[in-house]
Amino acid sequence: MSGETIIRGEFAAGLMSRYAIFAVLVVTYLAAVAVSDAFLQLGYMSNVVRQIAPVGIAAIGVTFVMILGGVDLSIGAVISLTSVICAVQMGGNPDNVAIAITLACAAGLSIGLINGVIIAFSRVSPFILTLGTGMAVLGLTQIYSGGTARGVVSPGFREFFNYRLADSVPVLAIAFLGLAVLGWLIQRHTLFGQRLYLIGSNHRAAALAGIPVAATTIAAYAFSGLFGALAGIALLARSGVSSTLSGQGLEFQVLAAVVLGGTTFEGGRGGVPGTVAGVLVLVIAFNLVNISGLPYHMQLVVMGAIIISASAIYGQINARAGN
Amino acid sequence: MALATTRRLNIENTGIWVLLALTVLFASITIPAFRDPANLANVLRQSSILGLIAIGQTFVIAAGMIDLSVGMIAGMVVVLACWALGLDPSLTILVMGSALVVGAGVGAFNGILVNALRIHPLILTFGMLSVLQGLIFTFTDRSVGLASPLLQLLANGNLVGVPIAALILLGAMVAMHWLLSSTRFGYHLLAAGGNPESARRAGINVERMRFLAFVISGACAAAGGLLLAGRLGTGYPLAGTGLELDAIVAVVLGGTALAGGRASVIRTVAGVVALATMSNVLNLLEVSAFVQMFLKGLIVVAAILVNQPRRELR
Repeated sequence: MSGETIIRGEFAAGLMSRYAIFAVLVVTYLAAVAVSDAFLQLGYMSNVVRQIAPVGIAAIGVTFVMILGGVDLSIGAVISLTSVICAVQMGGNPDNVAIAITLACAAGLSIGLINGVIIAFSRVSPFILTLGTGMAVLGLTQIYSGGTARGVVSPGFREFFNYRLADSVPVLAIAFLGLAVLGWLIQRHTLFGQRLYLIGSNHRAAALAGIPVAATTIAAYAFSGLFGALAGIALLARSGVSSTLSGQGLEFQVLAAVVLGGTTFEGGRGGVPGTVAGVLVLVIAFNLVNISGLPYHMQLVVMGAIIISASAIYGQINARAGN
Repeated sequence: MALATTRRLNIENTGIWVLLALTVLFASITIPAFRDPANLANVLRQSSILGLIAIGQTFVIAAGMIDLSVGMIAGMVVVLACWALGLDPSLTILVMGSALVVGAGVGAFNGILVNALRIHPLILTFGMLSVLQGLIFTFTDRSVGLASPLLQLLANGNLVGVPIAALILLGAMVAMHWLLSSTRFGYHLLAAGGNPESARRAGINVERMRFLAFVISGACAAAGGLLLAGRLGTGYPLAGTGLELDAIVAVVLGGTALAGGRASVIRTVAGVVALATMSNVLNLLEVSAFVQMFLKGLIVVAAILVNQPRRELR
């Protein structure tokens, strides 16, 4: 009897842990609608999604790394570097768009590979390592750009990504959602995705079971770097200016969204759908701060409070779920 | 296996001294300007601010945690202290005392939350970083107030030819090294960081150790913030940005294990002085700030590859 109750309790808590963020998203959205009915308009909402697309795209890749039990703090620097590379390579010429995007992706992928190889073969703390590579990449970015905004966006590039389909939904918002679906498919339906969870739950057991831990780790960080590059391109498409520091601090928003979405620092749980919900909660909360007339910088306070309380709530739920 | 462990411990204990000695030797031989007493005093003054913050960070890391909020605590103290002293410069002692209390208070808040909510300290203090940054910017987005002459003297003045700030750092280093390595509190803190479960079974109050580590870290960050205020002379809201990362880098350079349980305050300070020396050398060589940042990143990567080879040792 009591055993059954406990099992049912754990099951319910497990469900809560998995779906809590979606409930939070609904509540946040309803609160936003109550404050301003602009949130009911497709045009406004999809513009909100467009705003957060760079953070959202980067968060997809970081989710992979965090399921694995790692973290990628170099993501902000990768976003900055790739957005500068993209702008410089375009040089205002529409013929250069393809090569610029390719080079930016190659740069992001390489940084991810470097992170992955070092972490897979030396087992250093990923936190400190990616902090270090992040600093180095930021330095490289500034050396490359000379510390100022360099490069000119090709005509048509921004117009394409900011074009509103059916006069309301920007292409950039759709690109973010498309990449999210792709990330979800990889996480859910590939061997790589399943291995991420196994390694994140129990690194040692996964290694003993013959799972290629090193290769999976390298691939996860490579994904993070590549999605960081896509985020950098998205940032350039959104703002049109390749400032050296444009990605600085974005790693904080990315981490906040991933953690909010239920992917923990310990690894082994969470996933891309939760991250997307976390991204949306974050951006709706930011918009609410603005609309309600609070000082702009109160966004940071709200973000910090959200990170702390979300982690606390997940901690409680997961403890009840018996993990 | 035992041999490998011993060798690794040796690297951890001596690595930072070798690095420090090499850096200072290289600098004194190749760059005459480095040997200038005024320049050396400058290196020490620069070290003192980060040194105080890194000493506090050492306690948190020794306890198996990490504190990302220290930079913003220091930044908050810079703004609040300068603002208050701009209103009435005669209150220096009172303001300094209050700043330490505020820093310790934020640390205590971190400690209470980490114990009560069972959040990963990284996430908690990362959230706190964001909250404090928001509060600082909401309070002011431009420089406010003026550091009093006494505070500026502490940060920039000399006592018989030695920078006062360096003497403060030396005093703090000796006291805190003694606290961590020679007292019952220090043993308990290291035990709680090395293996919380064993420590708990041995009757150590692990939660209390974590709380106190954060209080110490907050107070040390506030002390560093006061020297920074005296050095800047005004309450610059961005003053503390990134200091938490520099502090962690210094602790890691000093060979303290990020997993907790092994730590040395003196080696942390050696790490700080090595960092300050490198930055000074690069400045004297007129290496651009961009290249410096790139090199600093490489140093961090190299330092953890040498010092922290195995995470699983925890």
